[in-house]
Amino acid sequence: MQRSMLQGVIVNLVTWTLVLLIAFPLLWMIITSVKPQTELFRIPPTWFPETITFEHYWRLLTETPFLTYFRNSVVLATTTTIFVVALGTLGAYSLVRFKYRGRETLAMLVLFTYLLPSVVLIIPLYLMMVAIGLSNTLVSLILAHTTFALPYALWLLRSFMEGVPEDLESAALVDGASRMGAFRDIILPQLLPGIISTALFTFILSWNEYLYALVLVNSDSVAPLTTGVMSMLISAFNIEWSLLMAASVMMSLPLIVVFAFLQSYLTSGFGAGGVKG
Amino acid sequence: MHSKPFKTPALPRRTVLAGLAAAGATAAMPMRLRAQEQITLRWWSPQSSPEQLAAYQTQIANFEAQHENIKVVFEKTSDEGYAPQLAAAFASGDVPNVVTHLPSFAVATYWTNGLLEPFNGVIDMIGPDKFYQGANDIYEIDPGQYAGTGIGNSAANMIWLRTDLMEQAGIDQNPRTWDELLSAVQKMQGGGIYGAPLPYGRNSMTSLVFIGVIHQAGGQVCAPDLSVNIDTDATRDALEFYRAMREFCPPGATNYSWGESLTAFVSGACATGLYTGRVLTNVANQNPSIADHITCDLYPTKSTDVAPWTFNDFPSVFIPKQAPNMEASKQFAAFLFDPEGYIQQLHAAPGHVLPVLKTISNDPDYQDNEIIQKYSAEVELMSEAAANGFNLGWESRDHMPNAKAGEIVNSGVIAELVQRVVLNDENVDQVLGETTARIEEIMAS
Amino acid sequence: MIATQTITPRLERSYARLGVLLIAPTILVFSLVIVYPLLAAIYLSVFSIYTPTLEGNFVGAANYVKLLTGKAFWNSLGVTLIWTVGTLTLQIVFGVGMALLLHQNIWFRSLARSLVLFPYFLSTVVAVLVWRWLFNDLYGAMNHGLMQLGILDMPLDWLGSMPNAMIGVILVGAWKYFPFVVIAVLARLQTIPEHLYEAAKIDGAGPIARFWDVTLPQLRNVLVVIVLLRAIWDFKEFDLIYLLTGGGPVTSTQTLSLLVYQEAFGLNQMGQAAAYSVGMMLVMLVFMVVYIRKTGKEG
Repeated sequence: MQRSMLQGVIVNLVTWTLVLLIAFPLLWMIITSVKPQTELFRIPPTWFPETITFEHYWRLLTETPFLTYFRNSVVLATTTTIFVVALGTLGAYSLVRFKYRGRETLAMLVLFTYLLPSVVLIIPLYLMMVAIGLSNTLVSLILAHTTFALPYALWLLRSFMEGVPEDLESAALVDGASRMGAFRDIILPQLLPGIISTALFTFILSWNEYLYALVLVNSDSVAPLTTGVMSMLISAFNIEWSLLMAASVMMSLPLIVVFAFLQSYLTSGFGAGGVKG
Repeated sequence: MHSKPFKTPALPRRTVLAGLAAAGATAAMPMRLRAQEQITLRWWSPQSSPEQLAAYQTQIANFEAQHENIKVVFEKTSDEGYAPQLAAAFASGDVPNVVTHLPSFAVATYWTNGLLEPFNGVIDMIGPDKFYQGANDIYEIDPGQYAGTGIGNSAANMIWLRTDLMEQAGIDQNPRTWDELLSAVQKMQGGGIYGAPLPYGRNSMTSLVFIGVIHQAGGQVCAPDLSVNIDTDATRDALEFYRAMREFCPPGATNYSWGESLTAFVSGACATGLYTGRVLTNVANQNPSIADHITCDLYPTKSTDVAPWTFNDFPSVFIPKQAPNMEASKQFAAFLFDPEGYIQQLHAAPGHVLPVLKTISNDPDYQDNEIIQKYSAEVELMSEAAANGFNLGWESRDHMPNAKAGEIVNSGVIAELVQRVVLNDENVDQVLGETTARIEEIMAS
Repeated sequence: MIATQTITPRLERSYARLGVLLIAPTILVFSLVIVYPLLAAIYLSVFSIYTPTLEGNFVGAANYVKLLTGKAFWNSLGVTLIWTVGTLTLQIVFGVGMALLLHQNIWFRSLARSLVLFPYFLSTVVAVLVWRWLFNDLYGAMNHGLMQLGILDMPLDWLGSMPNAMIGVILVGAWKYFPFVVIAVLARLQTIPEHLYEAAKIDGAGPIARFWDVTLPQLRNVLVVIVLLRAIWDFKEFDLIYLLTGGGPVTSTQTLSLLVYQEAFGLNQMGQAAAYSVGMMLVMLVFMVVYIRKTGKEG
């Protein structure tokens, strides 16, 4: 008994040490963002701020288009995620549970389109967007993001789908359910952790994407956080460190909060699944 | 119409992607409808810090007040983004009306490819004698025609000095030659303070600074006729000097770029610095304790025989040839120099972006700024130096404009030269030979 | 054994149609938005294109000849392989390890999980800037902390010399992307049936044996896919390395992506860049095909 309690404490300590080490840059960012500019480059650096100020956050929110960028990023990432997860889930279902010719080839092709670096794709893509009248719009970004998130999502969901036992679906079909009905009632719930994790990484991918946003979009009213904040605060000769740290904290914290909220879905075990702890 | 014609393969030069786009989608391209009265001008710039944005808004508001039927929209780009964005814009014909703050070699590139509208008319509107002497020579790429003009100057390689440390070390004059500089940094280094924050990383700062050092040794990268002339004794001297300075720089200098170099001086860790007037604002904000003890000067050269060489990337204004509403675009470009708005723009980065117009330098409204007043001697020095500055695109008054300067810098060949010889101790002759070959390749492409 | 439904040929065909229908939207999106740029990029590689103006002329295989005979491509390929293998290994090992730890009943487990995922949430540009700041020799917290702990007595040059630069890049890459592995593995761990563990325990298996015999086989499918996806992504990685070291010192951290970027926007040779990209794609393709064959066979 005592041994497993000690074991438990050790595991906790080890885990939390690792977690804190990994998250150290975040802590550093938060600490720096509340330091006044005069304390930024103190040598030797101060671990805790001598004075705490929220002026950088205030400046960011009131003097810059930060909130506009934020809104654009939320719209962009959410729409992309919904698109990608919807298309990917149906596609994964098709690839795993149906038989038709060219199934494997399709899967390979989808991944194949993924192998070229974005740098080379970007100009033809931009020209195409101009040609169809979508340049400088959020829609062009949604399309661009969908195309590079989709292969990833498809393959990931495919592997989760393969982990769902066939028997359950067969049982439902025997009971007279249609394929789509079985999909909705039996498979989706089983797939939920997979869908949530795919949705999460798609959201992050879109939220942090920089290169496509850089080229496809110019106006402040449409720019997402990545390019908006970066081009505003970083130029060749100067970096506005304090504002940048405040902006970075504000860009990351919502994601952390959303994820903490979605935790329960990721961890819900159901049916035959066993949740350890 | 905004599309380029689709030429047949028999012609040696043709617009490849425009051909693709045109073949695929010309029919679907939306026509730009404009009401007779309402015009919208698009203004692109990669510089959009919060203070600069505020200045731009003032300029836009003032201009719109004077021209009821014109609306101006500011669209930001960035130092990494402008190249692909403009490439796509030029190819599709969907170009902005006015572009500001791009370095002069970018302008040279676009001009030699026939993409820009001659700027003579705009300069006339501003008033040609208001400019500093020779400030526009770098833009006179084809004789008699100006590709653009500068919107602000930056003296990028000024030497910044800590007067308190100099006093302590018994140095009573700003160093003028390399020997003086080496002895000064040696005396000032110690007690946690380093002599200088020179960059040795594989980045553009190293390239640009070292090009300056070559000139400070009396050498050049290309000869006036643009043949490559980097394999000289002067370059070898420059490399030796740069190597000698290495021990007076912090250990991390092997990866220093603009940000680290600036902060090394501003934070007080280095006795000298190498930067633009940006130092002034940053010291005021981040380390006011040394604000009374800093000054700047022209960077030392090899000997008193060699004239100082100031690096200025000449942030520019230009108008793409395909821009719609050319008349209004030109008026707007000229309006950017209107004192009220221009001064506010300059005040957004005092000392860093310097006026190109003498009249503005002398304008009491311009001088009515804390930093400019406190460091008026330094600002005046920088303004003069920058106006007479050069860069790889234009290495001296005798040189022809070098449209490949951007590519040479971006290829990293100069930064590699520094790293290989100074850090890796490779054989100078061999490396210089290879560098020459690579630069020749770039020039020929 | 549950009886399977009898599938008549007609039902089979209608199922097949449904299957195709379900994947059709994906294919549609692909053809519209990615196939064209892809083909355009390949098309570009047989021209010599000047990037700022996108004008050029046909040069046939010249770009490819330069690729095969020049040093740049092969040097960068070697660097890319070292980087990819290094960072991928760390990502998988740490990812699985961390997922296992976070699967346990830890204090404030939700918070721990969110914090661990933070590196992945952070934008690459900001992450690199913060790391460069932390690595700085004058005012960086890394050197300062290590000196305070007595491990170092002089600041270390983390990014400016080899092998530090490659190691630094691999570590930052691993830090940034291992949470992806954590997410996917955690999700899979949730669905491993408890009774498998119990059966193993009854058989007398200790925790290590349980890991090898129960957990790992269950994780196999997800890991195979994760390794494939992360490998592709790491191979193509640009932002992180470019911003951290710029490819230096000299070219010792210049991966293929950096080479392509430099060729396209530094040297303004879009055609050559496209040729390098095609070369890059072919290399990845070879590895991918070999990998899939190998993992498919064992499955």
